[in-house]
Amino acid sequence: MAMHQPIHDALAAPAVKLGRAIVITSGKGGVGKTTTTANLGTALAARGARVALVDADVGLRNLDIVLGLESRVKYHVLDVLEGKVTLDEALVPDKHSETLVLLAAAQSREKEEVETEQMRALIARLRERFDFVLIDCPAGIELGFRNAIVGADEAIVVCTPEVSAVRDVDRVVGLLGNRFKPQLIINRLRPQLVKKGKMLSVEDVNAILRLPLLGVIADEPEIIITTNKGEPLALRQDGETASAYHAIAARVAGEDVPAPAPLLKESFVDKLGSFFGGRRA
Amino acid sequence: MAGRRIVVTSGKGGVGKTTTTANLGAALAKRGMRVVLVDADIGLRNLDLVLGLEKRIVFDLVEVAEGRCQLRQALIKDKRFESLAILPAAQTRDKDAITETQFEAIIAQAAEGADYVLIDCPAGIEGGFRNAVAGAKEAIVVTTPEVGAIRDADRVVGKLNDRALPIRLIVNRLRPEMVRTGDMLSVEDVCEILAIELLGIVPDDAEIIDTTNRGEPVVLEPAARLGVIYEKIARRLEGEVVPFTSFDSQGFFGKLFGALKAG
Repeated sequence: MAMHQPIHDALAAPAVKLGRAIVITSGKGGVGKTTTTANLGTALAARGARVALVDADVGLRNLDIVLGLESRVKYHVLDVLEGKVTLDEALVPDKHSETLVLLAAAQSREKEEVETEQMRALIARLRERFDFVLIDCPAGIELGFRNAIVGADEAIVVCTPEVSAVRDVDRVVGLLGNRFKPQLIINRLRPQLVKKGKMLSVEDVNAILRLPLLGVIADEPEIIITTNKGEPLALRQDGETASAYHAIAARVAGEDVPAPAPLLKESFVDKLGSFFGGRRA
Repeated sequence: MAGRRIVVTSGKGGVGKTTTTANLGAALAKRGMRVVLVDADIGLRNLDLVLGLEKRIVFDLVEVAEGRCQLRQALIKDKRFESLAILPAAQTRDKDAITETQFEAIIAQAAEGADYVLIDCPAGIEGGFRNAVAGAKEAIVVTTPEVGAIRDADRVVGKLNDRALPIRLIVNRLRPEMVRTGDMLSVEDVCEILAIELLGIVPDDAEIIDTTNRGEPVVLEPAARLGVIYEKIARRLEGEVVPFTSFDSQGFFGKLFGALKAG
């Protein structure tokens, strides 16, 4: 942003410590990017951090629903980018967490209407005012993905223990390149299925992806219920899943939290063989 | 007569488009239909994995579009069903590697030698979606009974209506016990919101994770609970009137609940 400011302004302004912009991505849809964004944002806010959540899924927004803010959204990202409203007018304060705000995506517009450079500038502005800017990336690797990552300097990739999700995440990690230092959240693990050898274990997934592990979230109906209600599970302090989100938030904030408990070790990968064996063009 | 061209789409990702495409395709092939499944998710293909055909890929959709091979060379015959084939997406290319016109032409050509061409659409409503829809004459919208998925499905229904495609709905991953406790939307709720014709209801069942990981369509497992469901959907697609399974009945519910608890 400094480049758009007259030099004397920039010099007069007190030195601001820029917040961290983290994109939550996965390649595959439906693995829990939006749920993760809402819960991680809530957990970071519970630690007192100022957090802005940005829904980058123009045309298919959902972050507002997961936060229970759908009827409070008045303006969206494109309104800001097009100069119709100020950033302040578009930020929706969260109902539950005082230091949390949402910048909603436009629902009846197209991803092609967002310009990549504008998106970069918008995230930069948010970083001046918030400790964390979490960007909820759309599924896929098209323009919506590129616009979601452009302003970020870190990435969290969300993966479920399924071969297709692992393959998609691996592709996204490749597309992200080295700049984003991607870290991994494994979502929707069913320990019972892992035990029976019917689901990939944490070790299996990370034997392929080889990323720093931020946390593991178990698959449980509570997530669906709280999502439908618009009350992120991380609003609670107790319970296994809520605790897992708080531990992830602490790790993201740089605290030295012990690594997630090793959840069952049986290997399933050997049985599957190499599913990356397809021919590369 | 050229075969039917049906796009399987949803807006939201991860609701089960690929699994539905694979299993519905297998169910139709089991009935003796000639079926071609097209993976339109260029760059993030997965249909090959779900059918366990990933190691047999030689050519892909983009290479057909670019004229580097014939369509028949790129089609991979399924291991189990003589009359089932897939056209894989390119994995290391972008979705704009192919135009709507090229896609439409390939689908039309595939339909000449098949009874059904099922197009597995990528998530979202960007270029990949427009390509996948360009080749289709009918659409199946897959959704889960979740607010976010339904909102996305509704947006997609609007886009399909713009193109005047007939649309039918599959409600996927229903958890009857959660509907009963009021923690999940019912099929009736979903149908009321989306107001499109219901083609099938598929309960959430851990067996689908296992069969998908193993690359085996659930339709093939003789004891599979879900195999029967996909076969019913295939029959409905063929125009038969098949009653919907009631998930309130104790028998099925008991079994399903057991499976869920296990998972």
